[in-house]
Amino acid sequence: MGYVKGLKCRECGREYPKEPLYVCEYCFGPLEVIYDYSSIREKLSREIISSRAENLWRYQELLPIDGNPLVGLHSGFTPLVKADNLARELGVKELYIKDDSVSHPTLSFKDRVVSVAISKAKEFGFDTVACASTGNLANSVSAQSAQARIKCFVFIPADLELGKVVASLVYAPQVIAVEGNYDEVNRLCSEVANKYNWAFVNINIRPYYAEGSKTYAYEIVEQLGWRVPRHIIVPVAGGSLISKIWKGFHELKKLGLIDQVDARIYAAQAQGCAPVVTAIKEGSEIIKPVKPKTIAKSLAIGNPADGYYAFKTVMDSGGWGEEASDEEIVEGIKLLARTEGIFTETAGGVTVAVAKKLIEQGRIPPDELIVISITGNGLKTQEAVSSKLDKVMRIEPNLNFFEKEMKKRGGEKNGS
Amino acid sequence: MAEKETVKRMVKLIFPQNLIREPVTFQMAKKYDIVPNIRRARVTETVGELVLELEGKEDNVEKGIKYLLEKGVEVKPIVGDIVD
Repeated sequence: MGYVKGLKCRECGREYPKEPLYVCEYCFGPLEVIYDYSSIREKLSREIISSRAENLWRYQELLPIDGNPLVGLHSGFTPLVKADNLARELGVKELYIKDDSVSHPTLSFKDRVVSVAISKAKEFGFDTVACASTGNLANSVSAQSAQARIKCFVFIPADLELGKVVASLVYAPQVIAVEGNYDEVNRLCSEVANKYNWAFVNINIRPYYAEGSKTYAYEIVEQLGWRVPRHIIVPVAGGSLISKIWKGFHELKKLGLIDQVDARIYAAQAQGCAPVVTAIKEGSEIIKPVKPKTIAKSLAIGNPADGYYAFKTVMDSGGWGEEASDEEIVEGIKLLARTEGIFTETAGGVTVAVAKKLIEQGRIPPDELIVISITGNGLKTQEAVSSKLDKVMRIEPNLNFFEKEMKKRGGEKNGS
Repeated sequence: MAEKETVKRMVKLIFPQNLIREPVTFQMAKKYDIVPNIRRARVTETVGELVLELEGKEDNVEKGIKYLLEKGVEVKPIVGDIVD
């Protein structure tokens, strides 16, 4: 029932059947899902999409599964918040927050990609899924595997704090803590993926998994009344989300659902891990790997698999890239919380801080429509901000103490 | 003693500017009896990137990769960082 034609190498264009393949056997380029757009065009219209349930599967024809989705039936269709308070603060006219910090079920945009990956893994007949992750990906794979009744292995570096694992462990996956440095964990996982007949979501299922990110773009367009934002700031880790947003916009145009794609896409990275932004600034299409050193752990990917495509997306769209220091990331988190009541994780601090910078630099004009991507929830990275917030007001249980404290803080004007 | 198994490894090599003109890959292949099968390359003024397969005895491939690292070449799996 699906509309997938097969897979295609992003480098040499060679085509492959829709199987759990991820690399071109000729040029070792990454594979990407291709669709039968002319058939989808006959099937999909704005009206049909809008009449469907509010989850990411309302764009099912543009996702790489053939049967019915198994998980993610409540994922996606997160709020697009008109952020007037933040807009005023940044001196811009029209600003929106695409807020995946409230994604179901694990509070990050990874729920989108994992919904697709696990549905596809079951369709391929795998009985086990696996991932290597220190955070959001592990949470989502663990939760959605539980719901899909499929075995789940999560690989983590052994020195990861226990607190980070709880939000995965609770769903009862097999968690394997690997004694070794980051590169050794990467290598082991690659070997496991080659040897075991498992669905490793970001290795052999990656071409399918990554397609889930496109729904972030579809939703923004639909929620803006079938308009593409003029400017969108996107966090870059492995580089997949940003290039899939670009693909998503162009697919909607190809299907006649929008007239044009006049968006500029901006890559946001942390200063301590900015290989793509460095490439953009240097105008180099080769992404030099870095050793990450940042509080934005969910963006700490020093050797991004899709770094080149992230670079290309930014360049093709006429956008730019900018980075945020740890201090600016914390300020970004606090700014979004204080203006819009949204508590995002460090990756969101990066996009807010980078948006602020790009506006101040004049790269983003103040009178055009801007979307900031928020991809995760602040409750998961509380340690990043906990020591940088105002102290609580500690008092005796007595009204006099309270009023004295209020006076001290100049807050009596708010009282009766 | 049993012969060590022959392995194939897909890797991406990133050469800094000072190594672009040096035949490091050839030297590694010769020294450790490794067959490098080049699939893709990109070179700019300041950096070079080579995607290739290294085939040889497992020990030799390990040694060859170590040799490249010691020379200052970055050796990365072609799938990028997996830990996300």
